[in-house]
Amino acid sequence: MERFDVVIIGSGAGGAPIAARLARAGHSVLVLEKGPLLRTQEEHPLGVSDFKRDELFATGAEKRLTLSGVANHFDSFYSSHVEPDLNDEPHIYEGADGLDRATIEGYTAQVVGGGTQLYGAVSLRFSELDLRLGSFNAGRSDIVGDPNGDVRREARDWPIDYATLEPYYCEAERLVGINGTRANQGKPFSADHYQTPYAPNPISAYVATGMDALGLPRYRTPLAVITEDHAPSGRIVPAAAEAAKTGYVNRYGDPLGLKSNTWVALLRPLSGMANFTLRANCVVTHLEMAGDRISKVVYRDVAGRPVEVAGGLVVVACSAIESVRLLLLSGERDPAFAARLNGNGLLGRHFLTHCFGGAEAIMPGRFDKSVSLDSDWATDACASEDFIRSQGLWAGGAIYNNTSDQALPISLARTHGSQDMDTIWQTFVDDTALTGDALNAFFDANFGTRLSVSFMANQVPLFDNRIELHPSIRDKWGRRVAYIRKTWHSHDVHLMNVFAEQCRRILAFGGDGGKGQFPVSEFGAIYMAANARARIANHILGGMRFGSDAADSVLDPNCRAWQFDNLYVTDGAFMPTSGGANPTLTIQANALRVADQLLARL
Amino acid sequence: MVPVLAVDNEYLFGLIGKFLAREDAGPRHDYGHLGADPRAGILEPWRFPWVDAVYDPDDAAQAYNAVTFVHAAADRQPGHAVQVAGSFADLHTPLPLLPLADTHYATLTLRIRKGEVHHYRLRIDGVWQVDPINPQRMMLDNGVEWSRFFTWGATRRLVLERWESRLLQRLCSHILPFHTADGETFFKRVHDAQGPANRAPHAYRLDESAGAVNFIDKLLAREEAHHLVDYQICLELIDGLLRQRNPVIEPWKLPREVFAELYREMATASVAGWNYGRYGNPRYFLQLLRRHTLTGVFSHPRYGGNAMTLGWKYLEERYRDASGATLFDWGRAIEAPLGRNSAYRG
Repeated sequence: MERFDVVIIGSGAGGAPIAARLARAGHSVLVLEKGPLLRTQEEHPLGVSDFKRDELFATGAEKRLTLSGVANHFDSFYSSHVEPDLNDEPHIYEGADGLDRATIEGYTAQVVGGGTQLYGAVSLRFSELDLRLGSFNAGRSDIVGDPNGDVRREARDWPIDYATLEPYYCEAERLVGINGTRANQGKPFSADHYQTPYAPNPISAYVATGMDALGLPRYRTPLAVITEDHAPSGRIVPAAAEAAKTGYVNRYGDPLGLKSNTWVALLRPLSGMANFTLRANCVVTHLEMAGDRISKVVYRDVAGRPVEVAGGLVVVACSAIESVRLLLLSGERDPAFAARLNGNGLLGRHFLTHCFGGAEAIMPGRFDKSVSLDSDWATDACASEDFIRSQGLWAGGAIYNNTSDQALPISLARTHGSQDMDTIWQTFVDDTALTGDALNAFFDANFGTRLSVSFMANQVPLFDNRIELHPSIRDKWGRRVAYIRKTWHSHDVHLMNVFAEQCRRILAFGGDGGKGQFPVSEFGAIYMAANARARIANHILGGMRFGSDAADSVLDPNCRAWQFDNLYVTDGAFMPTSGGANPTLTIQANALRVADQLLARL
Repeated sequence: MVPVLAVDNEYLFGLIGKFLAREDAGPRHDYGHLGADPRAGILEPWRFPWVDAVYDPDDAAQAYNAVTFVHAAADRQPGHAVQVAGSFADLHTPLPLLPLADTHYATLTLRIRKGEVHHYRLRIDGVWQVDPINPQRMMLDNGVEWSRFFTWGATRRLVLERWESRLLQRLCSHILPFHTADGETFFKRVHDAQGPANRAPHAYRLDESAGAVNFIDKLLAREEAHHLVDYQICLELIDGLLRQRNPVIEPWKLPREVFAELYREMATASVAGWNYGRYGNPRYFLQLLRRHTLTGVFSHPRYGGNAMTLGWKYLEERYRDASGATLFDWGRAIEAPLGRNSAYRG
């Protein structure tokens, strides 16, 4: 059996930073990734990238769900080229009607780089308060929509504070390669490693006007896209002006490698090192233990053959749902494993996503939205303690505009009226009146005119929101699939209404030069969607929260499973609360922090 | 001699793992092959052979694709002898697929011109047969079945009959905006701007579907072959219906108003004279057609639609600012020669 100092399962935001740091320190590192290695055009044997500026890569041809025992049997679905197939590897969720359905929600991407290949690259820090919501809410009686005191009971402080994490935020921002601005952010910075952002898309001026009119301090949304040559990863920006601004951003991999996914930013620079091994197309089926140590990592290689390897340390970072599932599957094979890992019954519990939603309007002017990155302006005004208390909230969040959404013709049509990946195309094909002149009118009204403002805020952690193994549905390897069981708390609903109104006001004030009367017909939040229970925003968090008390958490403050000597979990599963911002940068920063702890052990 | 392209194992592994590697080979997928057909046990078998881009710095037209044939041994054991022969090369000189590392897969990557349709067979351990993965098949005149593939931008009709294409074009045209006054002005301008020497080739004749029918033909031949039966039944029903209503004129020549009325009826799922016994829901077919048409006219031309990038150009021209600059500068992001991005190769 091959042995490595460290075996890391997953090559995305939680795994790659650890691989980079430990490999550079001279330790032997194996990264196992379920998906393929898709490369930029410069490194590819055919001289072209496996990623394309092609709308059918983001959302492909129709497929039909053949799984039996789900309410959406035989429904159509459309997935990107790097998302798993729902017939081979579905996620199942329990709907409000008690029926099970397969969903693409909760998957990021199966590819080297994981979700960082397809994400919009918004790279916000969490606020200082996001990490101490337990103590902040203790004893409060002014929290709206919380008649049973769930918030006070379930809110937790992180076992580390912002000051501990802050140097790692700086390091992540430097290593990953992020453009943005620091001024007006509501979070303390000890160093500024941001590259200079490109000029915003002109449509974003409405958002700037609205935020200014409302007195909301704004800053350029930090985006993991390099705008200048990036020494840590050796990447060079092409001579063409603003080459990354294409509209092919969110849900597209970047053929030029300017988006700072973890392959180009962290792993590719290790490629020539003898002590670094990356094995793509390898799915880990389970872990085995001996005493208090993980003794084997068992995976299937590209030919489907079982292979065993051993790691002095084992890091699980294959996205929260799949990480929980991997450990549940390991426990299913070995009751002693389950008992050791899940003695307190918290494995898979307190699963989290974000409270998210926003507002969208047809603005007075038309702009070329295809010359854009994912976002231009953000504000932390709704993350302040004053705002939170004034609205009876338990926590805050970030607000930012989306620039690239619906920038291209097919994406405009297929997302017309749809709420998520599971309902794509439905409204357009149903809206049979859209033909000829009416189709012209549809494009006239919507193409280059739509502007949205989104919020990303903390969801209340609940014991009953959880990841389990589905009782009957199995993947193509014969393993039980993940079963997502979650709902929204009444306080989440209040919080989302408050934030949606803030987003609406930004557009209302931005659309008419600060008077606040511009009509904003679409605003709301995800709890209103027909399949609200499924919605995850691909922010997959919790399920193995870390903490200082072994009875109240799955992982210790260094993300080590309490009862195992060498098992660590570093994707979003470790989070006891979901933070008031997109999570990727925090997962990366925490992974660098854990890497330092591992270095001290090795 | 068709050139063999050198690719690395990492590239080949990426074409295989997600789609072919599995423990459960049961019928998990429905591309019209559910049941005992082993292709129902493969994810997206239509992807094989893989047709990819290949960049040639000396070819401004970028006229070739990289086509990778993959064989997966049924017994999951390495060591099988596999060869391919096809219309892309000398049929009497089969080319060997080489073992992929120590796996039971064998592969071969060839450089083949874009816009072509080819047939081929595999010789597996001495026995000639169709490709067991690729669902695309065709019968030659001598009654022998071959596997088929096509490269980017192919325009030869594959699964639709000529009369079906003509009828379909009229239905697509009704959905799209090009038959409107604005659309006709645009088409005339594009046509005039080309000049006699540069007029579109026969296959890309300017029609009001801007390539959507060709896109649908290719989609039904490959990715959405499971919907071919919808088109075959519904086009036959529509043809019969229109002949009934207008006995002396060929259906595809009927005036626009006839198609507009038919469209309206189909939208309500209540079509006078429709044979509901054969196809229960004409509205479903209309929905399918709407998605396919819209996708065909605005997707990358490699899929066979958006002929001469007319879909994109229509929006480029329609939306301009006060200074006349376009508000959909699609060519800025897209590779040459279609677009003008200097870094991206497609």
